[in-house]
Amino acid sequence: MTLSDTIAGLLGLNANDPLQFGIAAIIASTIVGTFMLVNVAIAGPWAKRKITATFTDRIAVNRIGPFGLMIIVADAVRLLSKELIVPEKVDRPAWDLAPLVIAGSALFGFAVIPMGSGIQVADPEVGLAYVFAVASLASVGLVMAGYASNNKYSMLGGLRAVAQNLAYEIPLVLTGVSVVLFAGTLQLGNVNAANTIVGAQQATLATVGGIEIPSWYAFVNPFAFMLFLVANLAEVGRNPFDTPEAPTEIVAGYQTEYSSVYFVLMYLGEFIHIFLGGAIIATIFLGGPAGPVLPGIVWFLVKIWAVFLLTQWARSALPRVRIDQLIEIGWKGMLVLSFANLILTAIIVGVVV
Amino acid sequence: MGNPWIAIGALALVGLLIPVGMMGISKLLRPSVPEQGKRSTYESGEIPTGDTRIRFNIQYYMVALLFVIFDIETVLIFPWTVIYRSALENGVSLTRTLGPMLVFIGVLVVGLGWAWRNGAVKWVRSPRAETQKDAR
Repeated sequence: MTLSDTIAGLLGLNANDPLQFGIAAIIASTIVGTFMLVNVAIAGPWAKRKITATFTDRIAVNRIGPFGLMIIVADAVRLLSKELIVPEKVDRPAWDLAPLVIAGSALFGFAVIPMGSGIQVADPEVGLAYVFAVASLASVGLVMAGYASNNKYSMLGGLRAVAQNLAYEIPLVLTGVSVVLFAGTLQLGNVNAANTIVGAQQATLATVGGIEIPSWYAFVNPFAFMLFLVANLAEVGRNPFDTPEAPTEIVAGYQTEYSSVYFVLMYLGEFIHIFLGGAIIATIFLGGPAGPVLPGIVWFLVKIWAVFLLTQWARSALPRVRIDQLIEIGWKGMLVLSFANLILTAIIVGVVV
Repeated sequence: MGNPWIAIGALALVGLLIPVGMMGISKLLRPSVPEQGKRSTYESGEIPTGDTRIRFNIQYYMVALLFVIFDIETVLIFPWTVIYRSALENGVSLTRTLGPMLVFIGVLVVGLGWAWRNGAVKWVRSPRAETQKDAR
């Protein structure tokens, strides 16, 4: 049962009627969308500052509200009420649409992610292919922003963004489908549905000292998990792979010329993207929303915030790679390793079955 | 069970309405003080020189070409991963399930090796950058 079906049932709507089901699905989507935006609102203006401050031995926001949490409201009002400066000779439709594409496409991915406790908008048979497809739509937005801004820094940033996403997209997808070799389906499903990616991870892998270890694919194939983590860091453009933005080289890359609400949307899109990356990692490698004692949604939050913490840690601790190093790591290192991983996984499955 | 693609379409609609709504709210809140001076693009405080359509490294073009090849290859690998396990469980031999894919990936890896040797994934330096490097 997906959330859309549950809501349709609660409201007494007929799930087989497209219009009635659509209404239920819009309510479900609004719940999921708002839920993710709340996460991003906490992560962006507050948690990110607090985490970086802790790493660099500072205090950061602490003036408004408990722990400075009300800075979220203050910053939202401040940023939305800034003047929107439209630079000379920007390509108008593309320049306006880019923030929309970046922020929107990141949200699309959450349609198929099982968040536990029955929260999942839809569960199509090709869920994994869908989520990879929409996650990479953001690259189009980045190129639009970079090319339309009429700024040389933006142009270089857009080019770097697309080169980086091209270099890491294939290792990401190849490593991602290596779990499909175990599961035999692209459907993400939920904890209770056996023949799905999440459901297949609930079987017991081994029993150590009376504790049952589930067959999460991070335990079954740690090599693929590590590869995917690195490729994901590059895909969301965080350190050490934040070359498209590289503040010390090209100012802010593709977002140099954006102000006001467009700036907010670019940042929003990036943060939703980090959480989407975390959600994909949690779903295909960390058993989805499964976990002991606590309800599924709590475990889902724990897992996506753990990935967010990892990206912030990398941001504070690792130096940025150069663009030529980035291309070499992607094409010479990650691609070869992901091929090796795919064949290795196929051989392991062949031997086990 | 409703059609999952209707639900996905609903989320796509909500996912677009949220940013559009934010743009609307901002439009109500923000001031508008048009002035020619602040509209010039940022170029470290200088008046921008020349056009934005600059010459850039050919490497970006090379990796884009490579990507097209390997992206089509991932599309072809997807269906194989889905049927692989059930084919093995139904008694199809490893040579018939894994063998053809090994050949396929092998051909691609040879292609990657060729591109590698030709320098398609090696960062191209301009002759000027090379002489500057030697002079140092």
